[in-house]
This record gives sequence, structure tokens and C-alpha cells, in this order.
Amino acid sequence: MPTENRPGSARLNAVLMVVLALLVGYFGLSANGYLVPAAIALILAALLWLGRAGRLFKAAVLVNLLSGTLLVLVLAFGDFLGDSKLDVSGVSLLVNLLSGGPAVVLLAPALLLGLRPGKPLHAWFNRAAGAA
Amino acid sequence: MKKTATTIAAIAAMLQPVVAQAASFSGRVTLPDGRPAFGAMVTVFDADGERRQTVYAAADGSYAIRTPYAGKLKVRVRLSGFKDGTAEQLVTATGSARLNLTLGTFANLGEMNETLSASAFNARLPWPNIKRDRPAFVSQCNYCHQMGNSWTRIPRDHEQWIAEVEKMENMLAMQSRAEGRVIAETLWKRFDGKPFDASQNYGASSELSRAKVREWLVGDGYTFIHDADVAKDGLLYGTDEGHDILWVLNRETGKIEQYKLPDIDLPRGGIFSGMKLPIGQFTGKHGPHSLAQTSDGRIWITNALSSTLMSFDPRTKAFKTYPVGHDALYPHTIRVDKNDVVWFTIVASNQIGRFDPKTEEMTVTRLPSNGALRWLTDQLFPTLMRIGSWFPDQALHLNLSTHRFFGEQILAFPYGIDVNPVDGSIWYAKLYASKIGRIDPQTMEVKEWDTPLIGPRRPRFDANGIFWIPAFDEGALMRFDPATEKFETFRIPTVGKDEYETPYALNVDKRTGQVWMAANNSDRIIRFDPATKTFFSYPSPTRVTVLRDFSFTEDGQVCSSSSNMPAAAIEDGRPSFICIEPEGGAADRTALGS
Repeated sequence: MPTENRPGSARLNAVLMVVLALLVGYFGLSANGYLVPAAIALILAALLWLGRAGRLFKAAVLVNLLSGTLLVLVLAFGDFLGDSKLDVSGVSLLVNLLSGGPAVVLLAPALLLGLRPGKPLHAWFNRAAGAA
Repeated sequence: MKKTATTIAAIAAMLQPVVAQAASFSGRVTLPDGRPAFGAMVTVFDADGERRQTVYAAADGSYAIRTPYAGKLKVRVRLSGFKDGTAEQLVTATGSARLNLTLGTFANLGEMNETLSASAFNARLPWPNIKRDRPAFVSQCNYCHQMGNSWTRIPRDHEQWIAEVEKMENMLAMQSRAEGRVIAETLWKRFDGKPFDASQNYGASSELSRAKVREWLVGDGYTFIHDADVAKDGLLYGTDEGHDILWVLNRETGKIEQYKLPDIDLPRGGIFSGMKLPIGQFTGKHGPHSLAQTSDGRIWITNALSSTLMSFDPRTKAFKTYPVGHDALYPHTIRVDKNDVVWFTIVASNQIGRFDPKTEEMTVTRLPSNGALRWLTDQLFPTLMRIGSWFPDQALHLNLSTHRFFGEQILAFPYGIDVNPVDGSIWYAKLYASKIGRIDPQTMEVKEWDTPLIGPRRPRFDANGIFWIPAFDEGALMRFDPATEKFETFRIPTVGKDEYETPYALNVDKRTGQVWMAANNSDRIIRFDPATKTFFSYPSPTRVTVLRDFSFTEDGQVCSSSSNMPAAAIEDGRPSFICIEPEGGAADRTALGS
């Protein structure tokens, strides 16, 4: 496992994601539904830390960001959707939670920027895949 | 069977002609030691027990009551701290009787406890920290019903109380998980069925002996007449949120009619079908909640479960439904302004609805969110309810609701609403955010004020444009003058040691200026005189009296609906329409020459 080459952004984001996942999980002790995104965020944090399953990680973060953005936009400006508004926002919310929820969405922009080719996180995942 | 000391001590039945009404009674009420029973309630039931009328004994123990009843009638005398006395009297349609009544003494503490109001029981709850822990109980448990009456104080083990609190959450109670645990623990410790000593004083006054109370039983044990309103035809209309029925009472004849609301393409529970069904006792799809009348005679109803507005034409008996639309969640209190525009609060999505019956234009306006977390909840709550509807009857979406960790404060909850008669502005109260707000009906500009006490519930204006606000969570009355923007507060007197009051709603009689308000923890109706700043207490003849909106008749009666949830917990096991006639007792005395 190439721990000695783990970039700072991987360390920082993984730690932040764990902290946020634990916070969401704490809320989940009261509202159990939040245990699901907390668990998924912990898995994603582990993948990030280990530099494994780069494609899955990137897809999950992308879906999380897109669903979260769609959710906010629909809630704020979605009245034109009429009765479908709540269906769209409901699906968006569930998809967002199943892709890591708020613990991931807060870090998603930085992660996706770092996952572009030539950036440390991209290299980290590819290197890890190669090493595996 | 052994006769108890509570039975009537003396009946002197001297039938004699009476001028106007049938079944008139007069006499004296005494305590077991022979002293006059000031403030005792003398209630005459009609022959089939569906209607009753009550007067209060004067300082000398005298009473007089005229009723429209005839036949073999039950007469009951009741006073806090004493055992009821009862008698049966055969009275002809033109007869009157002289009937002296005596209150009894209790055989033991347990027997006495059965006569106490809920307030005596919940005053004894051993909160770990009363300032920290009781507010959620008052806000969420007393929200819909009394806690401490014979229905709700049944001894349960710890697990059963936890399950009970969770059941309430499935019926829209919004305590946090932590608050719920403390509530369950506290109720388990005290609602143990062990008798205790207590005394309650309902504050008899000379005003009391001038009053008269009329009650009409309605529906069944799961009828939930949320609001009642006196219409221009003099009839009393009541919205049955439990069964999707509009009840109509003719106070003169006692005749009660019912009109079923039209069906709608929604599942049972309406847009709340994701909750555990039925939600409380709401077995329908519309959940008619509040009502108000426009000058054309149409009655407008907010349907909380279907998120619709509905009109009812008393002439044609026809209903018409108007969707509120978008993400409106739980249309609540409704009022009509001087231009016949209909305004209503939408509690769970922090909005105000405006409907113009002439153009049939519906406008929904979002109110200030009062903080980022409340904004988030305002936005997400309707979405969660929609997700819940995909999994009917399971309340799964509550597992994602932020109230689980923040409690009910996470919502703003615009609740009561009224129209300022001075300038036509629209005012509302936010129950959970503890704010009042003003809407300019022309510009829709909103301004809000923090209330000095928490839990402003259903406020009303007086004729001079003073805003009167019940502080439900703090057992008080607030006065707000829009001109000076100053508040004044008045603590409602309680009836026993350590007790608190839960004033749900109020209304101001614009002819007299008197403020009438519900005191739902102790089975009372309260009148506040703004001139003398004095409270007057009218004990309800019926145990477990939970009143909602008040409405006034042309002849000065103050009417409401008795709607504890469930109605099965009320002494009669059914809800009722109830009207107080402030001078009705005095009129009966005069007519009977007492």
C-alpha cells in the first residue's frame, strides 16, 4: 500500500470526510436514516485514504454533488414544476443520501477538482490502482 | 347497593307553572356541612343525554335555570373538591321544580383524584430539570390533548411509555429523541395510579353566577371538531378533522346535521399518508381544520391533510375544492378580510395562503425562515412528507427529519392569523419561532417581532386594533399594540399548586372588549377584562374540556368546540359544541323570580 506517497489533499479530505461522517452519524443516532449516508461517507473516506476504486469514488462524488445541487435548486426555484416538485426533490434527496449525503457534498467540489488528470488525487487513485 | 353520601340530600319537588320554557329548576346548593356552595355547577341533562345546560350557584348557594327540556331529567351538581350530587326529576313541558341539591364527600383520596383536572396530575411530574425538560412536554404533548386526564395517566411500564411517546411522534408530535426519552421516563415515574392529596380552586365570582353554559354532544369517540364558527345564519358550523365532515348545529332546536366532504384522489391521510395511519384520529383524506365565512355566505375551510381550500355554500349544500398547490403542507387557521379575501396560515411549510373568491386566484407566500436551520427544514419538510407517501403508513421519513435532534424549534410554524380591523393588515403568530408578523395585503411586505413569551398560538384583534395573543407554552396572555410596538403580558391564574395553563386560542368580543380564551389544562374557559386587567374563570361542566377557536353569536354567546384528542377521553366519550352565555344565568334568575 503506497502510504508514503499519499498526497496531502487525500489525507485532508479523507479526515474531513470522516469527521463529517461521524457528525452525520451522530445525528443518525436520533434520526436513523442518517446512518446510511454516514456509513457510505466512511466507505468513501476509506477509499480516498487507500487510493482504491477511483472510478467508483469519482462517480459517487459526482452523483452526490449533482443530486445535492439539483435538490437545492428545485427547493429554491422549483415551483414551476408544480406537483412534480416534491417528487424531483424527494428523489434528489434520496440519491444524495445514498451517495454519501451532506458529509460528501461539502467536500465534493474540492474532490472533483483534485480528481482531474494531472492533479494529486487523480495520480493517487491511478497509482494505487496500478499498485493493486 | 349502598347509597353514598353524594346522593341528593333533599328534593323538594313542587311542580308549578312557569312562564316561558319547560323544565325549569331553582333552589339552593349546599356543601356537605350545609354552607352555601358558591360557584357550584348545576347541570340539567335532556332526557336522552345529548344536550345539557348549566348554571353556577350564587354566593348564597341559590341557582335558577330554565331549559327547553321535558321528561325525566337528570340534574347534577358539581364543585371542585366535592363529590357530585345527582337527582332525577320528572318535569312536564310547562313545569318547573324546586330542587335543593347537596354535594357529597369523597370516600377516599382515589375517589377525589378522579375529579381533578389534568393540570393537577401534570403539575406533579418529576422533571429532572423543569426549565429544560418540561417545555417540550407542554409544547408537544399538550399540543393536541390533555396529559393527566384519566385517558392519558394510565399507569404503563417504562417500555410502554417509550412506545407511547414514539406513537405520538408518528402522529406529528415533534419532540427530539432526547426529549422523548425524558418525557417517557418522567411519565412512567409519576403516572403510577397512586392516590395523592391535592386541592383546586376555580375562583368563584359573582360574574360566574350570571353565566350559563349549553352543550350539545356530536358524533362519536373519534369525531374531532377542530374548530367551530357561528355563521351569519346563526348556525354553528364545525369542521370534523377526524371524519371529513362538516357538522351544523341549530342552537335553537338542537338539531344537528352533517355534510360529508367530497372525495379526492388521495389516499387515506391525504398527503400525510406516509405517517402511521390514522394520524391521531384523522381517518379521512381532507382533514378539515378551520373555517371562516365571506359576505356571500360561503364558508371557507382549510383542509389540512389534502392541502386544499374548500368552500361550502349553506344554501345549496355544495362543496367546491381549490388546491393550494406547490409544497404547501398543512393549511391551518383561516380568516376573511374586509374585502372578502381569504387568508390562511400553512404551518408545516412556513407559508401564508391568499385566495380571492372573486377571481379564484390562489397565492402562496413564503414567510421569513428565521434562521438557516429553519430555512432548511421549511424547504425539506414537504419533501420528506412526499418521500414518506411512497412508503404508506410506515412513517419512515421521520428517520430523516431534523426534529429528531433539534426538536420542534426547527420549524417556524405560522399558526394563528387575524385581520387588523383598523388598517386591514394581516397578522400571524409563529408558534415555534415565537414571533408575530404583519403582512401588508397590498405589497405583501412582511415585518416580524419576537414575542416576550414563547408559544404564541391563535391570536385575535379587538375592535381597536390591539393584538391579543395566547402564550400557550407559558400559560399567559400577551397584548401587543401595533402603534407603539409594545407588548404587555398577563399570567393566567392557575387552579392549584404548581399547576400551569395551556391557553390554546382566544377571541375578543368586539362589542364588549372582553377576551375569551381556552384554558385547556384545567377544564376552564377564561375571560379577561382589559379595563380592569382581571381574569374570570368559568369551570367547564364537563371533565376533559379542550377548546379551540371561539366565535360569538348575535345574542352574545361565546361558542367553541370541545375537541380533546381523542374525544373518547372526554367525560362523555364524545365531543360537543359548547356555548357560554355570560348573562344567561342572570336572565334565568330574573325570569324565574329567584
